[in-house]
Amino acid sequence: MDTICKQPKKQILAKFSLLIFSFFLSINCVSAQDGEKIFKQNCAVCHSLGSNTIVGPGLQGVISRVPSEEWMFKWIQNNEALIKSGDAYAVKVSTFSPAAMPSFTTLADADIKAVIKYVKEYKEPAPVAATAASGATAPVEKGANPLAILIGVLAFLILLVAILRAVRYSLKNIQNANSGLPNDAKIGFWKEFKNSVNAHKRTTALVILFLLGGCLSSGWYALKGIGVYEGYQPTQPIAFSHKIHAGDNAIDCQYCHSGAEKSKTAGIPSVNVCMNCHKGISKGPITGKTEIAKIYEAAGWDPDKGAYTKPQKPIQWIKVHNLPDFVFFSHQQHVKVGQQDCATCHGDVKTMTTAVQVMPLTMVWCINCHRATEVPGMQSNPYYEKLHKNLTEKFKNQPFDQRKITVDRMGGIECSKCHY
Amino acid sequence: MKKKVTKIISLMAVFGCVTLSFTSCSKHDPNSPGVEFAPDMYRSPSLESNLFYVNKNADGTFDTLASNRLPVAGTIPRGFMPYGYPNTLEGYEAAGLNLHNPLPKTDENLQRGEFLFNRFCSPCHGKSGEGDGIVGSKLPGPPPSYKTVLKNLPEGKMFHTLTYGKNLMGSHASQLTKEERWKVIMYVQKLQGNDAATVATDSTKKEPVVVAVKAEKPKK
Repeated sequence: MDTICKQPKKQILAKFSLLIFSFFLSINCVSAQDGEKIFKQNCAVCHSLGSNTIVGPGLQGVISRVPSEEWMFKWIQNNEALIKSGDAYAVKVSTFSPAAMPSFTTLADADIKAVIKYVKEYKEPAPVAATAASGATAPVEKGANPLAILIGVLAFLILLVAILRAVRYSLKNIQNANSGLPNDAKIGFWKEFKNSVNAHKRTTALVILFLLGGCLSSGWYALKGIGVYEGYQPTQPIAFSHKIHAGDNAIDCQYCHSGAEKSKTAGIPSVNVCMNCHKGISKGPITGKTEIAKIYEAAGWDPDKGAYTKPQKPIQWIKVHNLPDFVFFSHQQHVKVGQQDCATCHGDVKTMTTAVQVMPLTMVWCINCHRATEVPGMQSNPYYEKLHKNLTEKFKNQPFDQRKITVDRMGGIECSKCHY
Repeated sequence: MKKKVTKIISLMAVFGCVTLSFTSCSKHDPNSPGVEFAPDMYRSPSLESNLFYVNKNADGTFDTLASNRLPVAGTIPRGFMPYGYPNTLEGYEAAGLNLHNPLPKTDENLQRGEFLFNRFCSPCHGKSGEGDGIVGSKLPGPPPSYKTVLKNLPEGKMFHTLTYGKNLMGSHASQLTKEERWKVIMYVQKLQGNDAATVATDSTKKEPVVVAVKAEKPKK
């Protein structure tokens, strides 16, 4: 009874709210004259404002091309119907690309008018960016060679010693002449050096010890650096910045290096992966169009026609992290089961403009990590179930801090695991 | 005797200076990997992945060899199944009608789908699928939202798009295996808000898809 009484009221309320809602909706429609906004939301994915093709044709001067503005309304709102009606221009346009343009039934005539106005009035911004870009490719600073500085300083010191010796000799002779004595005999540099060494034996011994120590230690470090690429930062054929891609744009490392989970190598991405985004982004924040144009050249992409028309050329990236042939390393194991972060071995790549090797990748570095690290992916992986059970059993009587099942405890530092 | 000793000592001092000056200046060129012990182990004659090889021919010309190459024409990987729908408008429509997710809808698959979506799709499509990703905002136009424009997109069309690419979106077939693509699609359906239907009609999968196609038909 109660509910029946309430029903009409509810209905009225519903109708009233519908009315208000539609009122707001219509207001919304009327006020939606912002052509730029509508264009960016609906059209910009496929159409540029210039003459170049993205997916559909560029819209520069489109109004002078099409039969009429009404034709434009019909085409945008339901191009399928227009093509079917046999409109000659519509049929011609439909052959432009194999991809059909979607129908925008939600756009009213007024909205489309606003878009057309925006397209008509759009002017390409002055090419300030180009000059800025050429300025941004700063000349590579060439630091002076430290060896040259050292040789220069040594030469200067030798010259100074020679001049001072000559001055001392002539002053002594003037003194001799004043007191009526004959000139001093000339002593050679080498002889004088030997004399002073003989006179200061202890100091000489100290200097020699110091030099010997320096030689030995620097020689030791030089030998330790053989075959270690730490600090290797080769100039790549394209000035690709990891900072912009992985840092600023927060793209996951494995979007591009997608082999890391599946194969021995993480993989240097092929050009089609670059083109997934750069089909739409042809200008970068630092180098402008120059570097991205190199991707287009490699992919054979014609940015004006919006199609792959040119021959392809591989990009000759330079491998930074290179392990020698005598050691086996698999990314898959470390990323999938070991669940290691990329940064553990590659450093904070997100902040690098040019990729650099920050870790030594030496055997002692591998082994130290294997001694300290557990394998998080092992416990939940049925493949390792038995091994994990056995190892837990084996180490359960150890003191608490030694119960960790680290990589080395399951044979992770055996020679033949990596060298075979 | 004394003279000889001093001579040797002074020679050593000079030698020490020279060695110090040389060793202290090594490893300053970022383009040089440094001294290599057994270089043929670092740049082996057998093709290693991701290295670019330059071979000198007998006549003095150079051949460059990329180690990442296309498979030999006509060969297929083990276990490979061809994808039967061509990269055309008809293929796209046909995939939408006939192609269905072969994977069971489990929590594990869905979780993996979410993980892969966040890695491979969210840069442009955004974590919520609204087209508000960081990279998406830098494209000429943001990708359409799963909740409005793409609300009723059938799973077959999604798979077709992931495989071949569509409009600005490129093919992701080189990054995602077929199974992974289906897992991603599972999660995209959750973002569309259509996953409940898929769960309810899991055993009779054909029904909801056909309905979805009908709803989608007016726009093309």
